[in-house]
Amino acid sequence: MSDAVDMAPAALSAVCSNLSKACAKQLRKREADLFKSLSDYFNSKVIRVADADLNQLEEIAKQELAKNYPSLMVIAEEAVDRGTQRALTWGKKVTSIHTSLLARYQKQKDALLENNNLYVCEACGFIAVAAAVPDLCPICKAPAARFTKIS
Amino acid sequence: MHAARNISLCTKDCLCLFVCPTGATDTETGQIDFDRCLDGCRLCVDACPSHALYLVMDNYPEPKRKSAQIAKALQVLMESKSAQETVASSLALEAGTDARKLLAKAFAYSNRILSEDCGREAGFMLPQSAVVRDFLVGLLDQPFDEAFPADAVRELLELI
Repeated sequence: MSDAVDMAPAALSAVCSNLSKACAKQLRKREADLFKSLSDYFNSKVIRVADADLNQLEEIAKQELAKNYPSLMVIAEEAVDRGTQRALTWGKKVTSIHTSLLARYQKQKDALLENNNLYVCEACGFIAVAAAVPDLCPICKAPAARFTKIS
Repeated sequence: MHAARNISLCTKDCLCLFVCPTGATDTETGQIDFDRCLDGCRLCVDACPSHALYLVMDNYPEPKRKSAQIAKALQVLMESKSAQETVASSLALEAGTDARKLLAKAFAYSNRILSEDCGREAGFMLPQSAVVRDFLVGLLDQPFDEAFPADAVRELLELI
């Protein structure tokens, strides 16, 4: 049996939202809707963090950059698992940009977004702070149409 | 293998209607009638000027299993991404300023995308894989509350 079912609700929701997107790409609408309903259920089970702050994000991201990414890259290279190496290459860059974005925000506070919007790349998760949507994702080279403006 | 139509790319040149030998491309829903579509025919796929039609497998061959060690480590990373998504989405609910709220939302959204990518590489790429079937069967054994859409899981096990 799959040990993935023991993951926290937010991770279970991500497994299901990912499968919903996969079914949509295969043009299987019914299956996409069913996975979406599972993803929504698990989202509703996520227990909010009472004293959430930005430092927690920075702490977890730094931990991943120091431990998870390097050790996973070693085993992915050994196994010649190129898909995993691709995900790690993008993910590490995006995560490292997360930490620098948090540092910029600590310094500039809300002024960071005074004349800027936030755009997230749908393919790799890269967060752009810019006045207009980027032409190309600097991490995964996805075109402008793959960016979602956060509002 | 049957043809499927991405309706958002369709430019209504309607070449598919005139090359299809079975009428499977002419339906009220905009999607191909998979039951009438001939296995691997691809006449409509080649005729379509807007690339709105492509072939999809009816029965997927089982993808190569990921190494258990990599799959496990990716699941750990996935949980870490999801933990950040939870912190960020909690923050978005209680943030004092609009800018702070937007930043928290962006982090939640970004971490969901990172989490999904880890999930794909952990073996959840193709919905038609044994990994996904095991996962769905496993969900039915979990002690979730009565709001859990168990019927959706059973229907998915039938469909994929």
